[in-house]
Amino acid sequence: MRQALIRVGAIVRKEFRHLGRDPRMLLAVVITPVIQLLLFAYAISFDVDHVPTLVIDFDNSPASQRYLQQYEASPFFDVVAHGTSLADVDTAFDGNTARVAIIIPSGFSRTLASDAAAQVSVLVDGSEPNAAKISQAYSVALNQLYGQQLTREWADAQGLDLSSFGLLEPRIRTWYNPERRSSDFLIPGLMVVILAIVTVQQTAVTLVRERDLGTQEQLEVSPMRRIELMVGKLLPWTLIAFLDVALITGLGRTLFDVPLRGDFWALTVGAALFVFASLGMGLLISAIAPSLDTANIMAMLIAFLPAFLLSGFAFALDQIPVFLQWISYAFPARYMVSISRGVFLKGAGFAEIWPELISLVAYALVMLVISSVLYGRRSSR
Amino acid sequence: MSPKRIRLLIWKEFTQLRRDPLLIRLLLLMPVLQLIMFGYVVAVDVRNLSTAVVDLDHSAVSRKLESAFSSSGYFTITQHVASEDDLRPLLDRGTVKVAIVIPEGTQDRLTRGETATIGIIVDGSDSQVSAVGSGYASQIVAQFNTERRDALGIQVAAPSVDARVRVMFNPTLDPINTMIPGLIAAIMMISLMVIMSQAVVKERESGTLEQMFVTPIKATEYLIGKLTPYAALATAQMLLVAAGGLFWFKVPFNGSIWVVLAGLFLFMFTCLGLGLLISLVSRTRHQAQQAVMFIMIPTMVLSGFIFPIQSMPAIIQPLTNLIPLTWALQVLRGAFVKGSGFEALAVPMLALVGFGVVIFGAAIVATRRRISE
Repeated sequence: MRQALIRVGAIVRKEFRHLGRDPRMLLAVVITPVIQLLLFAYAISFDVDHVPTLVIDFDNSPASQRYLQQYEASPFFDVVAHGTSLADVDTAFDGNTARVAIIIPSGFSRTLASDAAAQVSVLVDGSEPNAAKISQAYSVALNQLYGQQLTREWADAQGLDLSSFGLLEPRIRTWYNPERRSSDFLIPGLMVVILAIVTVQQTAVTLVRERDLGTQEQLEVSPMRRIELMVGKLLPWTLIAFLDVALITGLGRTLFDVPLRGDFWALTVGAALFVFASLGMGLLISAIAPSLDTANIMAMLIAFLPAFLLSGFAFALDQIPVFLQWISYAFPARYMVSISRGVFLKGAGFAEIWPELISLVAYALVMLVISSVLYGRRSSR
Repeated sequence: MSPKRIRLLIWKEFTQLRRDPLLIRLLLLMPVLQLIMFGYVVAVDVRNLSTAVVDLDHSAVSRKLESAFSSSGYFTITQHVASEDDLRPLLDRGTVKVAIVIPEGTQDRLTRGETATIGIIVDGSDSQVSAVGSGYASQIVAQFNTERRDALGIQVAAPSVDARVRVMFNPTLDPINTMIPGLIAAIMMISLMVIMSQAVVKERESGTLEQMFVTPIKATEYLIGKLTPYAALATAQMLLVAAGGLFWFKVPFNGSIWVVLAGLFLFMFTCLGLGLLISLVSRTRHQAQQAVMFIMIPTMVLSGFIFPIQSMPAIIQPLTNLIPLTWALQVLRGAFVKGSGFEALAVPMLALVGFGVVIFGAAIVATRRRISE
């Protein structure tokens, strides 16, 4: 046993020495996650507010100005320019300086004064569909609220009693992330993406490189057993993966104030299981891939893409077609994203996340077994 | 300049490509995979949000409100629960993303002419869900009020505002219509950067680069011969994406084909230059791959390809101008979606010219220096 530990220790030391000799590699596993974190957390957001809005007021009356004030007052629209002709809309939309244009035709105040419905055009630039949808919804709501306000004033002026008509008012509450900060939403998921990239890709590559360079044979004729070699190879990456977890959690907590509401140990156990599952995947790739090139591309295809797109990290999984949802269950990232988000934002503990934990355990076991079988077959050949 | 030598070099590159069956398969698989992923996952239309309803009022108003939500297409009512406390586990587990709480006495308040509030709870752990959910909820409630007032026959002669909201350029508001033109530019960049840098570095690794330089081939000939096959490959991939977008996803094309071709042609120089530069700074293929990732991730995040630039913080937004893909996207999306012409796209076109001259120029100069050493 003691001998085995010494042998494993030697491999671990060797791996770290490799890392130390290749500063770019060190950069890739420690600095890159930090850069990615900063980039994603600062830049990505799906929040739509302060939509640049162009206003063209052909009426230029107190009534039209009052109507426009609704837009000025709304945090959703930012009136950035006042146009004088319809051509200004084309220029603004083509140059992306405005996304919404409000056009008040002349006669607006006259129509209102004659107690009729005055028409207003709201043009929305559809080339950014999500933002356009939300802009559309808010401008409909704004117009209807304003219409109701006008009706009330009219009734008051006429001395009519409108008390038989009450208004329904939505009070929107956002749970788990009341300020709707994108960083709260993204950082827990980002941790998973970064872990997947570091663990799967690097393990796959280190093992294949050994084979490419021919040092694999040298290791095999040493008294080292296969399991010792694998443990020794995987241990450094496990440590680095945990370093990345700690780094991201630490930065997320201090720099971005991401709350950690749930059970810290549940997160740790989840992260450990995910790391094992990913290492198993890396081993599997290295057992199958004939060359470094293939290993790289395979790691990209089965680690990065699913972790980025099919994990629910930024794109809602219940919105995608069913066949892709099934595929997403075949990768561990999806389970880890829901563990991480559950613990960070929803205050989850073992009681809530046990189904995901069990999936990860099963996944890790299956991966490690398959890859060690394949690995054994390969090296005994 | 000898056309024969260039032709031979191009022929050699294609032979090498053919010898690597896996690479060819991956090159064809990549655009298809990206079409599926970006078409079905990223460009997804957020709708049918699973919604729970807590109806404490049990009245005609609450039932009508519920059907207004479910008929909108954005909310699918999957659960009815008895009290607000039961919502917590549902939202915690993510079974529902939105909850509507209609308090007791809502109808009574409305008939008394008071303002009644209803609660809309959105799951903030998913940004897209919370943004879309709350936007549509406001719209539905506002519409509900108007319809109710009309149904009561109150407003006969009151002044009101009749807003005609019209969506320009992309009336169906389908995100795929902007995703496909973006993907065409992105795939050119990815493929030229990855494949080209790998191909040149591989030659260096196996030592054949030195052999090449002792032949009478000149630097310019070498570059043309080396770049042409990859430019052709990238064009094939782009055609694949364009065909998939136009015929499978039925993306409308409103603009001029010349604008698209001009934009892509200009952008190609930037991509070729980046591929060359990466292959110059990397000693091994692994390093080249790391370098590609190092450029790729900020490009994907900051260009507006996936995440809208408009939603980025004001400090970040100027940074996006430094990314060549940002400008290529403006040209392609402008031409595809808005049907913009050369005049409207002059600024992004000029920016692409600028990037092309600087990056491609730098790459050419650096490569020539390396070759003549």
